[in-house]
Amino acid sequence: MSTEPIAKDDRIEMRAENLRTGMRLGPIFYIVEPEQIKAFASALRTSNPLYEGESAVAPPTMRLLDYALLIAHHFKGGKGGVHAKHRCELLEPMRAGQAIRVDGTVIATERRRGKFYFTLEYETRDATDDRLLMRQAITAVLLSPEGALE
Amino acid sequence: MSKMNEPALGEELAASPYLLDEAAAEAYQRGIQEPRRLWRKNIHSDRDAAARAGFSAPIAAGEQTIAVAMQLIVDRFGERFFRGGSFDVALIKPVFFGDTIIAHARAARAGNDHLELDVWVDNQDGVRVLAGTARVRR
Repeated sequence: MSTEPIAKDDRIEMRAENLRTGMRLGPIFYIVEPEQIKAFASALRTSNPLYEGESAVAPPTMRLLDYALLIAHHFKGGKGGVHAKHRCELLEPMRAGQAIRVDGTVIATERRRGKFYFTLEYETRDATDDRLLMRQAITAVLLSPEGALE
Repeated sequence: MSKMNEPALGEELAASPYLLDEAAAEAYQRGIQEPRRLWRKNIHSDRDAAARAGFSAPIAAGEQTIAVAMQLIVDRFGERFFRGGSFDVALIKPVFFGDTIIAHARAARAGNDHLELDVWVDNQDGVRVLAGTARVRR
């Protein structure tokens, strides 16, 4: 009988020295769930008709946190970070039922005034035909292992 | 939306005030589904973790403020924003639970193929918590 763990965690520690420009994160895959569109629209207190019906459009920020899934896919531990900047380019809406693929790349790291900043760019594509739907980038200040803004 | 409904340069748009209390944060958490980061202690859920990062109290997720701001653009421009639009903002001050935030936009510049808006979010004290720009294809 093997004593190997069922699933080995190969992820690396989330800390400044392990974050390097050019690192690729992902891919992650999911299906856009109509229930999530409804719940997210409700949280925003909007009754925009775009978010209703069988071919509902997903609010553009509904999957903004895909960056966190990309990070969690590659890194473990860490105290998180503080969101400093965000940009996104929208090319086509995500719709209920659509299969999605997301890939990320660390495009910048910088230590400035004692703080460690990193920028993760991530692209959201239709998983079936690779059509680009959205490109986003988050810049965050990484918290140190002690939980401080470095 | 037809160009007849295009805001004139200088015209200002404002969203309804959004109370970002714990109920709003929980609703947002249900809407994002994952990752379930509020389940563990962090700057959004724990006073000590927030203090270690230099905040006087747990802070709301910046993504929620971004979502409120971007929704103002979606509500005005509809699906047009989803096709060729863009959004570029900085989170400049924390939002604390219990704050009421109001998203604003002003039609600032017009290009041949796009309209650029200044976007900002203030809290109930008039403190700016987010600032940046949005673009919508014309």
